[in-house]
Amino acid sequence: MASLSEEVLLVVKKVRQRKQDGTLYLMAERIAWGPEGKDRFSVSHLYADIRCQKISPDGKAKIQLQLVLHTGESTTFHFSNESSALKDRDAAKELLQQLLPKFKKKANKELEEKNRMLQEDPVLFQLYKDLVVSQVISADEFWANRLGDINSADSAVSNNKQEVGISGAFLADIRPQTDGCNGLRYNLTADIIESIFRTYPAVKQKYSENVPHNLTEKEFWTRFFQSHYFHRDRINTGTQDIFSECAKQDEKGLKSMVVQGVKNPLVDLLSLEDKTLDEGYGVGTTLPSTSNRTVKDSSNSAIIKRFNHHSAMVLAAGSRKGEAPADQASETSSTDGNSRDSDFFQPPVKKVKLQEAIEYEDLQRENRPKTVALNLKKSDRYAHGPVPLQSQHYSTSQDIINSVSYIQHEMANYKPNLTQVLSSTAASSAISALSPGGVLMQAATQQAINQMVPTDIQGELKHLYVAAGELLRHFWSCFPVNTPFLEEKVIKMKSNLERFQMTKLRPFQEKIQRQYLSTNLTGHLEEMLQTAYSKFHVWQTRRMMRKT
Amino acid sequence: MMDEEPERAKRWEGGYERTWEVLKEDESGSLKATVEEILFQSKRKRVIENYGKVRLGMMRHLYVVVDCSRSMDDHDLKPNRLTSTLKLMEAFVEEYFDQNPISQLGIITTKNKRAEKLTDLAGNPKKHTAALKKAVDTVCVGEPSLYNSLNLSIQTLKHMPGHTSREILIILSSLTTCDPANICELIKTLKSLKVRVSVIGLSAEVRVCTVLTRETGGSYHVILDESHFKELLMLHVRPPPVSSSSECSLIRMGFPQHIIASLTDQDAKPSFSMSQLDSNSSEAALTLGGYFCPQCHTKYTELPVECKVCGLTLVSAPHLARSFHHLFPLQAFTESPTEELQEDRFCQACQGELKDKSIFSCPSCGSAFCVECDFFIHDSLHCCPGCIHSQTAP
Repeated sequence: MASLSEEVLLVVKKVRQRKQDGTLYLMAERIAWGPEGKDRFSVSHLYADIRCQKISPDGKAKIQLQLVLHTGESTTFHFSNESSALKDRDAAKELLQQLLPKFKKKANKELEEKNRMLQEDPVLFQLYKDLVVSQVISADEFWANRLGDINSADSAVSNNKQEVGISGAFLADIRPQTDGCNGLRYNLTADIIESIFRTYPAVKQKYSENVPHNLTEKEFWTRFFQSHYFHRDRINTGTQDIFSECAKQDEKGLKSMVVQGVKNPLVDLLSLEDKTLDEGYGVGTTLPSTSNRTVKDSSNSAIIKRFNHHSAMVLAAGSRKGEAPADQASETSSTDGNSRDSDFFQPPVKKVKLQEAIEYEDLQRENRPKTVALNLKKSDRYAHGPVPLQSQHYSTSQDIINSVSYIQHEMANYKPNLTQVLSSTAASSAISALSPGGVLMQAATQQAINQMVPTDIQGELKHLYVAAGELLRHFWSCFPVNTPFLEEKVIKMKSNLERFQMTKLRPFQEKIQRQYLSTNLTGHLEEMLQTAYSKFHVWQTRRMMRKT
Repeated sequence: MMDEEPERAKRWEGGYERTWEVLKEDESGSLKATVEEILFQSKRKRVIENYGKVRLGMMRHLYVVVDCSRSMDDHDLKPNRLTSTLKLMEAFVEEYFDQNPISQLGIITTKNKRAEKLTDLAGNPKKHTAALKKAVDTVCVGEPSLYNSLNLSIQTLKHMPGHTSREILIILSSLTTCDPANICELIKTLKSLKVRVSVIGLSAEVRVCTVLTRETGGSYHVILDESHFKELLMLHVRPPPVSSSSECSLIRMGFPQHIIASLTDQDAKPSFSMSQLDSNSSEAALTLGGYFCPQCHTKYTELPVECKVCGLTLVSAPHLARSFHHLFPLQAFTESPTEELQEDRFCQACQGELKDKSIFSCPSCGSAFCVECDFFIHDSLHCCPGCIHSQTAP
């Protein structure tokens, strides 16, 4: 197996594994280790099998690298070269870091997801055991619905992949803290780094050029913050700074922006001037207004320039992400912050803008949204429900008046006759039924059932319920049956239900019968299954009738 | 001076907390009174203009977006904006499911330029209240993102059937929003999907929210203080009138009977309720009675619920009847000055002395009510106490 026909990327000598000296080989598709003096590899792992790598912390005497596989087992390598152990380990780690992501197969990820779901949810795990392990339904069917949930949960996971805008204040939010001895601590999060890269592509370019070959990440960012590029006073101090190029690029960009000028006549400050009729009522020659453009190179103008540039870059980065906006009315639609090319203010757009500027919607009368009228027949039926039609005993209205007055008379002359209301036997049986413990007062004793049935039986019953519920859910989701796929599925599900009843329900019933429990614990489950069977029969007979 | 204004009388506690406002009244008293007057008039207007006999969207799918950005840490609502909002949200959730039993609610939070679902669209208030209680500990950080939260809600709402009403309610306290793309495009999408977005602002009016609510047909309000916040939230409990373009369809529902059984019955069958088993809690208990789904015979202990096994919506008739008072609202009472009242000046409902400058009388039975009772009758009772009593008299 020592055939080195594979491309070897890195060889590290003096690596111990399980207290044996040896050499570590990193190849194109796997990592392998062979003991000293032997020709074969005793340890070999494909990158695809490796879940992650771990390194021992910096302070420890032993410099180690651990590989954790998807299956859970791990292998540890101890770098024992006195002089270069740390370098070796770091080189191996860096290479692995670059190679591992390439090999992360999607199938493993799904398997991981499934494992994770089973571990997190014990009910699901139990369901899996009950249904799949005991062959009631196949694993595919079990995961068919769940993975559908995963894929929609993926969009929740893609929370991290949500597109994020760039906050205008991201640089200001970094907020350095003094760390006591005349130094500053900058806290950089992944968000801030991403914002910097998106807004200033020049910096991103520098980063990819220099890291990790010339500088480490930490050094890069330290230099970034130290450079005058970042700070207000941008005095270009020669070319030592790697960021001086970025500064020059920014200057060029700013200049081109200024040259382009502002296209929107409503905000173009330079063209706003007093148009007066000079002396002579406009006949005399008007001197062109020469605006003094002596730009004083004060620090103020530098800050202002930087602010303008920063805002333009942030806006451009935002629109650079999406597709080019088709909106003509947008003012800063450009792909590169250093040029604004798409503002063309045709007359109709201008008119709309002017209209907006002179009208306030707030002051206008509020338009109520249009509502749809309700079309109800006999709306008073809603007040008291439908009234059944009864046959009429009365034929004329005089009859009705007579009966009403008769009833009123009866009620006015009513004399109670309490001894003739109810027989004593009937009364005493009614009282006993209504006393606590009687026939009609059973609601209070509902709690007793829980004590009557032992908890382990209850637990098993719960599992049965969950499993039956899952199967029934699959079954009922097939209706209405209108595709051949659903037809097959419903037939399969019925046989699954029968199998479930055979393999799980019957043994449980026998078990509780042996324990002399008189309550019918599985009656409800059987009812549910019976309802499903009868639905199936009805569907089957209808299908037969349609075919003939 | 404080007693005469009805709103002030309710908030005597507020008066103790914010004593500087008392001083303000003395200096420029008219300003405070004007604002209260405006609030009062808008409340009145709502009562008068209630939509009688119009089609309402009763099956509602509402997403509430709660801003969890840095500005929610502010202490102008006690103890801070986030805690106060979450507390009011709990009351809102209860009221919402009370008035709209066949609707669903979901909660989204937004902070750090991202949006995250706190709870999915569901019809069970307990889940939402539990999640809201836990959310009190979240750290408020970063900026909110209107775009991302609207996008997240759209992903679920666009799959909802056409006859239901799709709504989003945003509680926004920050004055900025950090979006990855142009929000005007998203507003167009919302309009085409017929989603109605309303906003409650906690700080000030923001132009993008005005445009958003105007285009989608929702409402936009900014709160003045905590009691105003509660009022504005409760406005959204009422089902909104539908726009003319939504479809209507027949909805299949089951009406299970409540079965009560006892141990001595011949065929007493103890059973588990399916909804309790799923929740992974230890409260699943064997019970004898309950509601059995008419289609698949699964048992449930509470209604309304969607059957987990066969997917049928199970409700009871009183749930549907509860929404009738939205369809047939109580008439607005006529307002008249108090001096015109000849008899003793007592409010028919609370028997208190009529001290306000106007009284309200029911058009059918003529009883007089004070301002507070008028609001209470129209908001909560939905029937005139005078009319009810006059019916039972011989």
